[in-house]
Amino acid sequence: MIEIRNFSFTYRESADPVVQDINLRIPDGAFVGITGAAGSGKSTLTYAMNGIIPHCYPGDFYGSVVVEGLDTCEASLTDISQVVGSVCQDIDSQIVTSIVEDEMLYGLENFGVPHAEIDARVDEALTDMGIADLRDRVIASLSGGQKQKVAIASILALKPKVLMLDEPTAELDPASSLQVFQLLERYAREHGTTVVVVEQKIALLSQFADMLVIVDDGRIRFADSPANVLAHSDELLEIGVNCPRSTTLMNRLAADGLYAGSVCRNVEEACVALAEVIA
Amino acid sequence: MTIEFRNVHASYDANTPILKGVSFTVNDGEFVAFVGTNGAGKSTTMRLVNGLLKPEQGEVLIDGVPTTQLKTSELARRVGFLFQNPDSQICSNTVRDELLFGFRALHMNMDEAARRVDRVIEEFGFNPDDDPFLLNRGTRQLLALASIVVLETPVVVLDEPTTGLDFRECVKVMGIIRRLHERGTTVVMVCHDMEVVADFTERVIVMSDGQVVDQGPTFEVLRNRRTLEVASLVPPQIVDISLGLSIMRPELAGTLVGTANTLNEMETAVAAAVGQPDRSQAAPTYAQTAPGAEDAAGIGGAEAGFVPDSEKLAGLDLESAVEYLAGEGDARATGFVRIPTSPIDPAGVQLNELLDAQYEGREANAESPAANGSDAFAADQTLAGSALGAGSSHAGSDAPFDLFNDRPAPEPVGAIGFAVPGNVRESGRNLVVPEIDAPAAKPDKGASTAHPDEGASTADSSDSAPSAAPREGGSR
Repeated sequence: MIEIRNFSFTYRESADPVVQDINLRIPDGAFVGITGAAGSGKSTLTYAMNGIIPHCYPGDFYGSVVVEGLDTCEASLTDISQVVGSVCQDIDSQIVTSIVEDEMLYGLENFGVPHAEIDARVDEALTDMGIADLRDRVIASLSGGQKQKVAIASILALKPKVLMLDEPTAELDPASSLQVFQLLERYAREHGTTVVVVEQKIALLSQFADMLVIVDDGRIRFADSPANVLAHSDELLEIGVNCPRSTTLMNRLAADGLYAGSVCRNVEEACVALAEVIA
Repeated sequence: MTIEFRNVHASYDANTPILKGVSFTVNDGEFVAFVGTNGAGKSTTMRLVNGLLKPEQGEVLIDGVPTTQLKTSELARRVGFLFQNPDSQICSNTVRDELLFGFRALHMNMDEAARRVDRVIEEFGFNPDDDPFLLNRGTRQLLALASIVVLETPVVVLDEPTTGLDFRECVKVMGIIRRLHERGTTVVMVCHDMEVVADFTERVIVMSDGQVVDQGPTFEVLRNRRTLEVASLVPPQIVDISLGLSIMRPELAGTLVGTANTLNEMETAVAAAVGQPDRSQAAPTYAQTAPGAEDAAGIGGAEAGFVPDSEKLAGLDLESAVEYLAGEGDARATGFVRIPTSPIDPAGVQLNELLDAQYEGREANAESPAANGSDAFAADQTLAGSALGAGSSHAGSDAPFDLFNDRPAPEPVGAIGFAVPGNVRESGRNLVVPEIDAPAAKPDKGASTAHPDEGASTADSSDSAPSAAPREGGSR
């Protein structure tokens, strides 16, 4: 579980807090999507949960962030890293080796994973990400999307209790993005892994997340099921958050008096709803 | 300027072919998107267009000349390139220097450079003294795009220009790219966002495993189930809905619902299917204009002396909005007046189409200010007026088009582009280019600082004491 209470944070170089009065509880095995306009505080929120704040970014820290029983101010970054696996927004800053296989091995060896387990974990993670054929490739020769898959795979291999991913599909094609979200959803369901994803791809968040957190100007504006959040499409647009086209379509039809059902989160729900409308 | 690939093969090392016989043509003035899975060869194709890579087999021709016969600097004057990661091309210490870099590297007229850079800084809203590397990713992307725009190349190649941007930033970037295209620039774009592809491009080239597997008009390709399957593509949502409904309800295939591609089309089709009157014309008002559009309105609009009154526009239906805007016709003739639009503002797109049609009609009107020659610019604008709708006036013209003032530039400097060989650009911050003034001293970090979440400048201050002490683990 992740519990954030009355959390506010001001970076040392700044005069004003980047996030304020954040209260959020994320149960075990939940799939949480976080989105919002650039500069709204999304990444800061993830840094607070994976310990980068306060251990790497100093500043004024108020309130508490407890992840799997570890208070992030009191526990060491090493201890936090054992339970929280993070994929950064800037993939190049996270990749430390030159060969894909070595990148997979790096974290496993540093965390002292038994030797007998390592090969199987590498195989599983690469296969899950659909990049088993890239095992021996030089990372510099990979496309941006392929590198992003390698970074995700290297964290999956560690089997953390919490997965924290900051825009993990930014450079991925739509099919690969869908594959990643399906994989994350499977990890949450089968392994009880808590998944927290910062994303701009609202369509994917709406489809897979149990909870959608909308951050606006350093505060949580909404934290609820995707359907309940997307019902506020006008407010979302005002703060720079778009809705999936399928949601926008059904909302417009509802405004036209042509549809009276619940908010549609994705293409499938819109198709079912429209099939009933067009009797 | 045409781009032609003839059976091109390319690789980064001998054991890993990336392109395996790629052939296509991009015609002058087109807006073409390259789509496909990661590793399909899209970015490699883009690097072959501007000469960063040369083909191992086959030919890449720019206006009929093989790139192997052109120096990279010559290609740079023709083809502007936006890298997938803006940090791959940003190399100066200030925003202003970054925008001037291309002019210096290509030994262009620095007076004209300064004029253009000042205008772009104002219209993009940059702080010229900001350290580019302290800006947030979206602003760095805008800066990289601005460094291309300012050079006015006839072709721009954009490698995933919306990656990592939020919705507002995406609207802003694509608005700028759309206006580039409308003024005759050939736009070649790699893009994974299928909604952006659907909203902006005319033609799509689909790549898979180093080959072209399909190409054609955008919606024709994106509705082709076989292509979608072979290339593992996910169609835009409205297309997906119409295709899905055609399967769920086969009788809808071929109907308006079964063939709708856009929000407006689907809304109209559903209304018709249930026997309701067509609501799309009466529908969205400017209250629904996407956020950030006001920024777009400032680009060019303020220069022209007319900025649409957004409050007045809000609440007007399309017909009244056209009447209001067309009534400012002289302003339209003398400056850049275009309604800010966004991917989710089909009414704005529709309004622009109506305005363009009206404007083109006025060209033939003997009483129009343009015909009277009462405004020299208006006369020019009349000749180029169709460009606003057809985007073709620049074709065949040697004079670069002034993007922001919608008129031929007063002092043409020639078509120049900006692309630097990757091994120079990617050396990063310590790049030193000969014959350039010493870089300006980096601004004091205390005065202009950005952290991962924000690009705003804040002052370091300890004046305001918090009501409770911060936790020991966090405060330094």
